[in-house]
Amino acid sequence: MAKFIIRRFFLMILTMLLVSMAVFLITEASPGNVARNVLGGFITPEQEKSFLNQMGLDEPILVRYLYWLVGSDWRAERKIGLDLERVTSKEGFQEWWAVKEDGSLVRWKMQGEDLIATERGPQGKISTHTDNERWTTNEQGESFFWGINDQNQAVKWEKGKKKEAWRFVQGTGWMKSSGAPTEYIPIKKGFVRGDPGISLRTGRPVSKSLGVRLRNSLVLAGSAFVIIMPIALFLGIVAGLKEGSLLDRGLSIPGMMFSVIPEFVTGIFLILILSQWLGLVPGATVFGEKAPWTRPDMLVLPVLTLALIELGYILRITRASMAEVMQHSFVRTAFLKGLPYWQVIFKHAVRNALIAPITVIMLHINWMMSGIVIVEVVFGYPGLGKYLLDSALYKDVAALEAGAMIMVLIAVGTQLIADIVYTFLNPRIRYT
Amino acid sequence: MSQKHMHPGVFDLKSQLDTGKISRREFIRYAALLGVSVTAASQMAGLTWPGRAFAGSVKRGGSVKVSAPIERVTHPSQISWIAPSNQIRQVAEYLTYTDADNVTHPYLLKNWEASDDLLTWTLNLRQGVLFNNGDEFTSDDVVFTMNQWLDKDVGSSMLGLMKSYLDPTDIEKVGKYQVKLHLKRAEIAIPEHLFHYPALVMNSRTFEGDFIKQPHGTGPFTVEMFREGERCVLKARKDYWKKGVDGKSLPYLDSVQFINLGTELAPQIAALQSGDVDSMDMSDLPGPQAFKALKDNPEVKVMGIPTNSARVLRMRVDVKPWDDNRVRQAIKLCQHREKILGLAYYGEGLIGQDVHVSPMHPEYCEIDTPKYDPERARQLLKEAGYPDGLEVDLNVGSGWNEIVRYAEILKEDAKPAGLTVNIKTMPNSQYWEKWTEVGLGVTVWAHRPLGTMVLNLAYIADDEGKPVPWNETNWSDKEFGELLEQANGTLDIEKRRQIFCKLEKIQQDRGSIGIPFWINQWMICRKRVENLNAHPTMYMYFDDVWLKS
Repeated sequence: MAKFIIRRFFLMILTMLLVSMAVFLITEASPGNVARNVLGGFITPEQEKSFLNQMGLDEPILVRYLYWLVGSDWRAERKIGLDLERVTSKEGFQEWWAVKEDGSLVRWKMQGEDLIATERGPQGKISTHTDNERWTTNEQGESFFWGINDQNQAVKWEKGKKKEAWRFVQGTGWMKSSGAPTEYIPIKKGFVRGDPGISLRTGRPVSKSLGVRLRNSLVLAGSAFVIIMPIALFLGIVAGLKEGSLLDRGLSIPGMMFSVIPEFVTGIFLILILSQWLGLVPGATVFGEKAPWTRPDMLVLPVLTLALIELGYILRITRASMAEVMQHSFVRTAFLKGLPYWQVIFKHAVRNALIAPITVIMLHINWMMSGIVIVEVVFGYPGLGKYLLDSALYKDVAALEAGAMIMVLIAVGTQLIADIVYTFLNPRIRYT
Repeated sequence: MSQKHMHPGVFDLKSQLDTGKISRREFIRYAALLGVSVTAASQMAGLTWPGRAFAGSVKRGGSVKVSAPIERVTHPSQISWIAPSNQIRQVAEYLTYTDADNVTHPYLLKNWEASDDLLTWTLNLRQGVLFNNGDEFTSDDVVFTMNQWLDKDVGSSMLGLMKSYLDPTDIEKVGKYQVKLHLKRAEIAIPEHLFHYPALVMNSRTFEGDFIKQPHGTGPFTVEMFREGERCVLKARKDYWKKGVDGKSLPYLDSVQFINLGTELAPQIAALQSGDVDSMDMSDLPGPQAFKALKDNPEVKVMGIPTNSARVLRMRVDVKPWDDNRVRQAIKLCQHREKILGLAYYGEGLIGQDVHVSPMHPEYCEIDTPKYDPERARQLLKEAGYPDGLEVDLNVGSGWNEIVRYAEILKEDAKPAGLTVNIKTMPNSQYWEKWTEVGLGVTVWAHRPLGTMVLNLAYIADDEGKPVPWNETNWSDKEFGELLEQANGTLDIEKRRQIFCKLEKIQQDRGSIGIPFWINQWMICRKRVENLNAHPTMYMYFDDVWLKS
């Protein structure tokens, strides 16, 4: 079993790697323009180019993938010649600083012709001074400097005749200056080192917004799961035992009915009836500062909508599987042996009949975590599915990758659970 | 302001008012544009400016919840849509304020003056205004902010708006409270541009590219929490410069909370009905559906307002078959305007005449509304070399319901003309990615207070003859451009209107767009919310909003 789990683990790593490549390629190939998504449709082509340069999006896809996977700080460190360190400011924002020879932290900015260094002391005290000694001059007489700016980017500043431009300098006014940033590397640690990167859509670390969405989806899927599974399995078994009976028909037909009505129809009808007419529960999920479980009344309708769809589906699969198992010769033998009815059902029939429903249920956990976009949209539920959809429409690679990785984890995890449950249901199944 | 500093145009305006050539509202608007304070102008116009009257006294305290998309905000100048500005607008402010009647007032400015040739604009700053971190608001902040707009590395849509008349070096800091703009060409709409949604003034001392990290604005609220895709909490500040009717600093509210419920209407309506939210950000919602759903609800106020915003059927004139004016005219003739307005927008708007000047614009010159005429359209198509009819693709964003319906009606009504319209729907975001590139599409155009503003943005070419960035149809016309240039520097409202008569005729006869209707917009809130008013731009202001107990 341990061997089996280890093998599964490596298979999961491989899957994640392949999926991450696929997501990167698909996002790359899909139509859309990130600069316009972020800055609006009204920007000029020069603005678009400048934006792509600043975000590092004009690099080849392989380079971007590598940065996403293993980070770009090592490359920036080599360019700058100093170690880099990520600190969290007291307001909770992530900041990258260069570590100076004497151990203090430093960042730079250009003001006119001057390079200004901002230093951060051990207690977070900020001081600034001119730092023009750091310029390197090449044989054409042009100066350049690789440093780190206040936007968490490694930046190459260049000074030279060709770079002349008018710039506004705080406290001085307009000055003709000849320095400008020309190259950017956005600094990140990389996914394998625990940093899923900055979301293009929100401009913030993906981990921050994804965490909340994941929690919300877990609550929704979890509540639905806990309610649906016992009911669906029980009713499915009962219906399967009496195939063709009035009870079977009475369960199967409504079950089928609800599973074929699209969830947005069910959802809207439930809102109309339970929220608008009867006023029993709120029709939308407005959590505000609170976590979903603090407002169970708001969870009622989304969970009920999910339950109605899932219930019929699982019920019908369990019923079919149960009915089939009841035809098997080993069940007949058990009866002929004279075993009590319920013992035959639970010890022999149900255990065999559950293999198919368990497979389906485990696959459906995946679906409930991210595939129920429509339910989320109907109730304004801030879940993972909506988050991934928005990210996909926005071409927000970092967010999509992080979401996809979580989904792979869940998929592999639920399959593993299913495999382990199989061994309990049917002792003949062994993994080596 | 004493009379001798007054722009000479103001006196012309006054005489036009006296002879009845312009209305009082137009007089106030234009006098305000030229730097006369609205109070002074309304006195000149023989009106007294009504202060905001309240039934009883206002009540302080309380919190308002608004459902709104919480989108990325880092650099205020980069804000690319109204919704994020509705949150940041409570924290940072504009130099000017254009009210719901399209009259522009000073805001962070004390007043402004324009030179006779409209080439030099002097902006006088309001003194004693403090940022919420204690810094004083001075001309450095104005120059810094304008410089951010004009920096191509920032990526502000203000650049596209201003670059034809303003370079960074044209901004002169005269004193601590005065800034002069030396324009490259005459422009009358400077005060209106300063109220464009990304034009929020930032603190030059602390701003480092991310407003959420240094949320220092002059506005009535401070940022307590800003979590993209989730919610945004704003808290009232104590030392805001505007005073309420009770003589104490605004705002009346303790806090405003924006909660993200997605962009779908249904959950937001449900939340408003149950009182879980007090209002909703309407800037990206289908207004008519919300209006229909809530207008009879006794708990909810639905306030409508006509706007200069339209859904524009635009044709790229350098793409076949739209390079032929006869084909453009043919599809325009297939618009059954009353039917489109009635079915696509529930009749909540004004009929358009295929010119991008709305009846609500001050310069609007009355022009005939073209009739639905498929026979004439068929004839035109035949002349253009399509005797057997023509098949075209119409690109629309599926998120705009009224556009999809408009497209469907057009499709049906174009059939008798031999014009087959294939509707190609896509998500709105995808439409925005190629709005300037598609041959035939329907684009959403936002409200703008002056008629010249859109025409300058979308229907001219630059000095090299290249279409300006927002010119989505690549249409330009020598005569049209010259007339518009003339209109940009013409103060006299009657003369301006006469130029507009010609401009409108040209655009109707050989332009690149169809505009079947102008839309209404709505502000919707719970009954307990007082003073939250509808604005044609969909801007929300919470500085003097208060809650009834």
